[in-house]
Amino acid sequence: MRTLTPTLALTKRELLRQTRQPSRVVASIATPLLVWAFFAGGFAGAVGDVDASSGTRLGAYIIPGMASMTVLFASIFASISLIQDRHDGFLRAALVSPAPRWSIALSKITAGSILALLQAAIVLLALPFLGVKPAPVGVLGALMALACISILLIGIGLAMAWIVDSTQGFHGVMNALLMPLWLTSGAVFPVDDAAGWLKLIAYANPLTWAQTSMRLSLGMDNASQSHTTIAWVVTLGSALAGSLLAIIVLSRSKPTR
Amino acid sequence: MSSECPAIDLSGLSVTYRTRNAERRALDGISLRADNQLVAMLGPNGAGKSTLMGVLCGMIAPDEGTVTSPTTREQLAIVFQTPALDELLTVRENILLAGAMHGMSKAGSLTRLSELARPLHLDDRLSDQVRHLSGGLKRRADLARALIADPGVLLLDEPTTGLDIEARQQFWSFLGSRRRDRPMTILLATHLTEEAQHADRVLLMREGRIIADDTPANLKHTLGDRILRVQTTDPSAVRDWASASGHEFREGTEMVLIADANQEMLASCPDGRATMTLAVPTLADVYSWHAGVCMELEAAS
Repeated sequence: MRTLTPTLALTKRELLRQTRQPSRVVASIATPLLVWAFFAGGFAGAVGDVDASSGTRLGAYIIPGMASMTVLFASIFASISLIQDRHDGFLRAALVSPAPRWSIALSKITAGSILALLQAAIVLLALPFLGVKPAPVGVLGALMALACISILLIGIGLAMAWIVDSTQGFHGVMNALLMPLWLTSGAVFPVDDAAGWLKLIAYANPLTWAQTSMRLSLGMDNASQSHTTIAWVVTLGSALAGSLLAIIVLSRSKPTR
Repeated sequence: MSSECPAIDLSGLSVTYRTRNAERRALDGISLRADNQLVAMLGPNGAGKSTLMGVLCGMIAPDEGTVTSPTTREQLAIVFQTPALDELLTVRENILLAGAMHGMSKAGSLTRLSELARPLHLDDRLSDQVRHLSGGLKRRADLARALIADPGVLLLDEPTTGLDIEARQQFWSFLGSRRRDRPMTILLATHLTEEAQHADRVLLMREGRIIADDTPANLKHTLGDRILRVQTTDPSAVRDWASASGHEFREGTEMVLIADANQEMLASCPDGRATMTLAVPTLADVYSWHAGVCMELEAAS
């Protein structure tokens, strides 16, 4: 069978579902706007600080971190839809259909990433108002880094959602797993200025490198060529690992009993 | 499909559910061959009907036994106890999505949809979101979803649960006409003897085993022309009386079934306060008879 057909159809379904739920449409637009207003505006006005390592104002410094936080929440929503599909009965029909299981994972990753990127792009729109004017290619690079973050997080989320049956349990696991990932990624503080032990954790965190890739693309970080290469290799590799994790867990798991 | 390669061919299937403290045999050496038939599985909860369907569609791995056919998911479709539709999508979107999951082109799915929509009375509701449909319409939309790829084997797991009589009749009327148009093997799991009544074969199931397998008429014929249902507080007295008069019987907690009964027996029952019903045997009687207990299936009650 044509394997692309089910993947595209399932992706379209995920996007249609988003547009058919007014509360989700409002939330997906309001969340980045609130982040934009409160974090960027608040930090820029009240703190007015300057990050010494890059010469970037703190208000602008946290914008990539806020964009990745927006992606984090969007990714959790994308992953949790697997549990909802299970409870609604749709997942049974998908699993007994000839569609390969990886098409289920891939469609959720693709649709979830598109939605996450749209939201994160709204957050990034704050940058010019905070003194950062990235080149168009830089914006594309930042979006690519955000897409990688989204793919990684949705991949982890889908693997968790496959195992965990309840939305409450899923939220608990995701909060315990993903929030530390985000917090230690340099989203709200420069990793180089952190305590030694935290720095170690941060450098082992793939999100840190995705943040770095984003900042490098936006011209908000200065790094050597080798550092840049490492950042992008880890970022792209993490996205690949995340998607493979979801595909393997959904495909290789023994049939449910 | 030829008789040498039946649409459903499985042998020796066994499935055991294991929890930390216990294990339960859900299927116990089930074998079945069926081709272009409507086969109804009749039995109480836990008889193994849904487990058998789970094995057939690849959701449950058997501990023992083999499924020779169907071998691929392209060959079968399933209608679950509750509709497997996306409530936020329209009927058309749901059915086209099912077609796409079978690898069908949009044009091919639309053609098939136009064939299915009219007889299922869905043609004026295709643009409605599923969440706005009645239970009966959802069922028919779910049936269209299952049939979009024209499967050779259709599994129906209590498909009319929650439907009113009219919706049930529409459901079965459509499937009947569909079967007349093209060969299809249907495996139906049901509690409803009135549904099983219309099957080509009935499998009576209990505790993971097939305890009887024949046409509805043959199964009922095994109990004679009339059966006497005796609801009594003294089943041992009724049992002794039936035995002494040379009738076969089955005894439950407060019910005794007596096969091949006649009008004269009504006057000679030893329990004067018993409630007696002399009737043409039903599938519920047959089930109770073979299961060895007097279970009141819906149609019997």
